[in-house]
Amino acid sequence: MPTYIIRRLLTLVPMAIVISFLVYLGLELTPGDAVSHMIPPDGIGSMDPERLQMLRESLGLGQPFLVRYWIWLTGVVQGEFGYSLSGGVPIAQIFLTRLPATLELSIAALVISSIAGSILGTISALTRGSKTDQALTTVGMLGVSIPEFFIGLVAILIFSLNLQWLPVGGRLMPGDDSFWDRIPNLVMPALVLSIMMTAGVMRYARSSMLDALSKDFVRTARSKGMPEWRVNLLHGFRVALTPVIVLIGFRLPVLIGGTVVIEQVFQWPGIGNEFIASVRAQDYPLVMMIALFSVIAVLLASLIVDILTAVIDPRVRLGD
Amino acid sequence: MTIAQPDRGKRRRSKLDAQFDRIRDREEAGQVKKRRRGRFWNKFLNNHLAVAGLVVFTFIILVSVFAPLLTSYDPRAVDLRSMTQAPSLEHWFGTDRTGRDVFARVLYGGRISILVGLGSAILCAIIGVIIGIYSGYIGGWLDWFAMRVSEVFMAFPQIILVLLLVSILGQSLANLMIIFTLTGWGGIYRMARARMLSLREEEYVQALRSFGLGPARIAYKHMLPNALGPIMVNITLSTAAFILQEAALSFLGLGVPLSVPTWGNILNAAQDLRILENYWWIWLPVGVTISLFVLSVNFIGDGLRDATDPSQQG
Amino acid sequence: MAETGDLALSVRNLKTYMYANNRCNKAVNGVSFEIHKGKTLCIVGESGCGKSVTASTIMQLLPTLSRIEEGEVIYHSDDGDIRIDQLARNGRQMRAIRGSEIAMIFQDPMTALNPVYTIGFQIIEMLLYHTRLRGRKRFNKAIDLLRSMGIPLPERRVREYPHQYSGGMRQRAMIAIAMSCNPKILIADEPTTALDVTIQAQIFELMETLKRDHGTAIMLITHDMGVVAELADDVAVMYMGNIVEAGPVGVVLRNPVHPYTRALLESIPVLGRGKNQEIRAIPGQTPDPYDRPKGCQFADRCRYRIDQCDAMPPETQISDYHRVMCWRYEEFTANAAE
Repeated sequence: MPTYIIRRLLTLVPMAIVISFLVYLGLELTPGDAVSHMIPPDGIGSMDPERLQMLRESLGLGQPFLVRYWIWLTGVVQGEFGYSLSGGVPIAQIFLTRLPATLELSIAALVISSIAGSILGTISALTRGSKTDQALTTVGMLGVSIPEFFIGLVAILIFSLNLQWLPVGGRLMPGDDSFWDRIPNLVMPALVLSIMMTAGVMRYARSSMLDALSKDFVRTARSKGMPEWRVNLLHGFRVALTPVIVLIGFRLPVLIGGTVVIEQVFQWPGIGNEFIASVRAQDYPLVMMIALFSVIAVLLASLIVDILTAVIDPRVRLGD
Repeated sequence: MTIAQPDRGKRRRSKLDAQFDRIRDREEAGQVKKRRRGRFWNKFLNNHLAVAGLVVFTFIILVSVFAPLLTSYDPRAVDLRSMTQAPSLEHWFGTDRTGRDVFARVLYGGRISILVGLGSAILCAIIGVIIGIYSGYIGGWLDWFAMRVSEVFMAFPQIILVLLLVSILGQSLANLMIIFTLTGWGGIYRMARARMLSLREEEYVQALRSFGLGPARIAYKHMLPNALGPIMVNITLSTAAFILQEAALSFLGLGVPLSVPTWGNILNAAQDLRILENYWWIWLPVGVTISLFVLSVNFIGDGLRDATDPSQQG
Repeated sequence: MAETGDLALSVRNLKTYMYANNRCNKAVNGVSFEIHKGKTLCIVGESGCGKSVTASTIMQLLPTLSRIEEGEVIYHSDDGDIRIDQLARNGRQMRAIRGSEIAMIFQDPMTALNPVYTIGFQIIEMLLYHTRLRGRKRFNKAIDLLRSMGIPLPERRVREYPHQYSGGMRQRAMIAIAMSCNPKILIADEPTTALDVTIQAQIFELMETLKRDHGTAIMLITHDMGVVAELADDVAVMYMGNIVEAGPVGVVLRNPVHPYTRALLESIPVLGRGKNQEIRAIPGQTPDPYDRPKGCQFADRCRYRIDQCDAMPPETQISDYHRVMCWRYEEFTANAAE
């Protein structure tokens, strides 16, 4: 098991390096240089040009490209992400204030959609051809077809503007109030964000479960005279679970992308909201850094998925 | 002799039993004739949802293409005397904040949105299939390189990569299609490659090779047709995805420039809570249109998958 | 006819139809046979002849889109007869029979074992529902079972997963599961088709031992006449949903009456007869199950076809034990006796 994790980690590192290289390339090709990325913009103006030049040299800007990349990379690893062009705020600080909101939202949506999706998909498969199955399949199809931001708008109209049950948007900051007071703000964005993923997981769980139920070992299990629930859950569902977890991992980028749109709809103060603002303002250092971090998040998520599948599936754990 | 009484399980299957009786009667009466159509069409046309999807899909495409015949309004013509009017005989879907006819905008917007979605999906398929088939069948350094490049592209959450490229390349219709193609070819490439890798081991390919046919001819002429099913499914599914993405980007104001009517750009107005609350006709019809169109494409995709997948029965 | 007291299972005029794809396939179309206690019945036939469906019917393991149309499946348990065909598919009574009274092993031990559970777990599952063994005792029973199936190092093997076993070992483990509750009947559906020839012999040897030691009746499904000659006490030859000929193995193999049985026997090369022996392939191919001949199912491929064959021949008892389904049985019986 540990060797398995290490082996997976080793395949991720080259990918992270290649992408960080591309991101640095993007930084070099877009306006601004390393100095303007590393010094607060209002500081640059007050510095005399000679000192600025010295600083540029000390930062290695006269050096070859690969050396500059190396200096930048070691800085990033130590948490020096540079400065945002607009406002001159350190990017690390933006991450610190914005990341918790995005994590809260996406983890809530991930938990909702994984659980609801697998359960509904399993029910759908077990009642194949019935009214329940048809209803679930149709709702699932609607879920992957209606734009999530449109669902968000309709939800705001109904639950916030008309019924006034839930706030229109925004998020209470930690410390403002108790955990329970913050729930109403989270409910709508998390549910709306989870809809598309729930539908996707459900459709996949259904076909995965049907596939598992058609396998010979399910017939063997039934031939042992065990009750149907045990056959379906311990033999069907358990085996259907591995591909579903792989799919959830595979869909995580979509979920992370979804936060960008949903945060905008509900004015949720997360990274996604910041990303849109930085794209609009062509604040390249911030755009690149957020993109880099989203990739690292995806890579880490895929590592977690790999570990999870190894834990639940002995074929992966003990294979090759 | 103790004979177990038939218990509830038997009765619960009575609906199924009735169905079995029907099939059996028909079979015994010899009414089951040889199918005239091929297996593919037979399965596809038996899937009512897929057929309904095809009808809606065709309908929306036709009304978009023939928009000038269906409405006399210019989708961009500002008319300040008739702002935010509710639907009427004159303006079927009402007018927006600058007095533009919403019905005309939905029709003309469909042209651009469908062009972006379908166009990008087809471009992705062309690039992905050509490289995928080459590298799946012949392999070599191009295979290695294309695989690594697609891995890099797929490591990004797609919308973040798209927005990143938008911020560099700028907003325009052509740029958007280029960006969608760049970020979307990886999936279909991998699919085509995997299909080729498995087809390569099949006997008929070995036989063709022993006849001395060139690799390009075998790959593109004899193997490609056998991979068409999954490719078609992939095109429909990526069309749906791209239309949703265009809508999301335009909704954020970062897709096609706002001056061009697209479905997403029309919905952009609904970010204003006042419009959302008071002028439903500005955003509801177009939202429903997008959803219907994507739904129909997805149903077609599902129907295609079931009809082309030989492993699925029943 | 044999006394009921020595019967384990009787099947009378069983019809099981399959309803996939909106068609009706009369997979098993009027089949009768008996399994005697402690004896082996071989059901032999080509693939698609309905032998596996017959087995699934006895265990009520049929797919959803299928139905027992007519006939009786009677299990002669120690506490009286049970009409299996009238039990609910997955009801409590049926489940109590499955595994503990009638157990089954399948063709491909790779797919028949669940890949995500250890072999031990899959044996214990069976003990869980049919015995009162608990905890450590149950675990030890699993080890004992593996040991008696000839699996080396059972203490370690019990914790391993199916993919860590070889093909032959997997089938032994499968038999261990099936035998764990000492069933009265063991149904083996082509248990060695997926295995190497040398392993096949070992598996059959194991089954013979079990039959001898536990008095288990075996219903062995196979397409291999060699296996029949080796193992069977009784044999039933199936073709397109019917048993065309049945009887004790010595009688049927020595004096085959039905042209299909003869054709099957003639199509197998016999070791020791040299290169010049006459091997006759059966002409034509099995008919489309959805487009069956009206009468005798074998008529189209039969050398002895007459007009009468357009009607379904009845099952005829030609001696106390020997039964055949052919219009011209009298001529064939005469020349078989020569």
